[in-house]
Amino acid sequence: MSGTIAFSNIDKSYRRPGAAAPEVVLRNFSLRIAPGELVAVIGPSGIGKTTLLHLAAGLETPDDGRVTLGDPANPDHARLGMVFQQPRLLEWRTVTQNIDLAADAAGIDRTLGHRLLRAVQLGGYADAYPLSLSGGQRQRVALARAFAIDPAIVLLDEPFSALDELTARKLRLLLQDLWLRQSPTGLLVTHNTLEAAFLADRIVILGGPPARIVREIRVSAPRPRDSEDPAFFAIHREILATLESLSVPALAA
Amino acid sequence: MTDAAMPLAQSYQDAPTAPAASKPQLHARHPAQEDAATTGAIRGTASSVATRRLLVNVLPPLAFVALLAGGWELMAASRPSPLLPRLALIWSELVEIVSTGDAARQIGITLGRIVMGFALAYVVAIAIGLASARSRIAKSFFDPVLVLGLTVPGLVWALLCVIWFGLSMKTSTIAIALGVAPPLALSLAQGLNAVDPQLIEATHVYRFSRRARLRHLWLPAITPYLLSGARLGFSFAWKVIVLVEIFGLSSGVGYRLNSAFSSQNVEGVLAWTIVFAVVMAVIEYGFMQTIERAVTRWQRVAQV
Repeated sequence: MSGTIAFSNIDKSYRRPGAAAPEVVLRNFSLRIAPGELVAVIGPSGIGKTTLLHLAAGLETPDDGRVTLGDPANPDHARLGMVFQQPRLLEWRTVTQNIDLAADAAGIDRTLGHRLLRAVQLGGYADAYPLSLSGGQRQRVALARAFAIDPAIVLLDEPFSALDELTARKLRLLLQDLWLRQSPTGLLVTHNTLEAAFLADRIVILGGPPARIVREIRVSAPRPRDSEDPAFFAIHREILATLESLSVPALAA
Repeated sequence: MTDAAMPLAQSYQDAPTAPAASKPQLHARHPAQEDAATTGAIRGTASSVATRRLLVNVLPPLAFVALLAGGWELMAASRPSPLLPRLALIWSELVEIVSTGDAARQIGITLGRIVMGFALAYVVAIAIGLASARSRIAKSFFDPVLVLGLTVPGLVWALLCVIWFGLSMKTSTIAIALGVAPPLALSLAQGLNAVDPQLIEATHVYRFSRRARLRHLWLPAITPYLLSGARLGFSFAWKVIVLVEIFGLSSGVGYRLNSAFSSQNVEGVLAWTIVFAVVMAVIEYGFMQTIERAVTRWQRVAQV
């Protein structure tokens, strides 16, 4: 069962060492992601994209405003999966143990994770340690772990940016397949405009600072999608044009 | 499983199984291992690994011992003196202390004292190490204590404890703890600080319980540091306990060494030293390294 992700009037600032005043990253920022929707957030570096993910994951707290996951009346019970830029697996535990630990913590039977491991084509590596796998294989394990808890919400923090393009393409297709089966609600942070167009239902382009939504683009192509669909290239150009228009004043400043 | 998760798991049932992995030797149950040729290749590899281990790890120390014994015998034969007993004399003394059970008894007593001292040292080191890793104030507070503890010679702790506590179990326990706790605490604090913050975040996101985090994140991450601290502490503990037993106790390997020294029994001193060295080697190679190999298996798998 998927849930909503809602950022309501969020303020967030950081005090950098040596800086006279705190750096305001988010001011009165609001964004709502509907159940089952996958929203990609794109914007210049340092604009606050990762801050949004960290707020949703509970790794940071807002200075003001509210982040709600799942059912607003019972937000703590929304099962949350997250795929990071690096796989972040426990290297001293086997592939299966890494997945089982997440399932156990979420109170989900381990069977789903074991089947997912085969679905991500790593059935033969169940007893392997993460360090013996390639980067792409480790990220597959991270994907399996995120979906092994039957998540209501999945957060994706540039999940394929550390991989070569060929591996990244395969993993995007794999992610699409997992999404079609489980339909969680998702928030994807990426710098890859084609990736955003291929995976997301809605693309949110941030400008600032402080971060504000400057443009939203709906991607209406039905799933499963073909990554070579010309519509994605049109969206890619549209995003780039918006980002370029943003970067001119930023560079001038 | 939740009601929703069961049909979901079934939806993955028809997913294709992975193709044969390219590193069959890494996985005990890999399908490729059932292939006879592959199994033969693995056996061949295992045998060559065993030969390499024998050549690199076993033969050199044995050669060193043989060289030392040969050199000693040559020296003792060329300059006959009660101060340089022949190997046969040392051997007969060694046989006597081992066959009468005295060696086992005294080693048991000494080891028991070390275990007590180590237990106290671990309690103190865990408290100081945790505090130092979690708080800068605590780190500043304990740093001078740890530096002092690392630099004070074991002889000083042994003497002070004999003076303060006399002939009691407290003497050896506290003397060992004073010497062992500082390197252990430093290793523990270093290990805790080295735990990858990204992994801590991941376990937080996946809502690992406190117990699961301790068992699957913190303990495995700090174990190599604890082992290295224990190894340093162990060699220190042996030196301190022998001194304590020489100065102020009436049993143990140190006491027997002192008795042999007092009666000018050089072969006795050497026989007890050999017993002592053999026990150290058994503990190092048979115990410490076995534990180390077991807990760092995941690192060696990656290097295959």
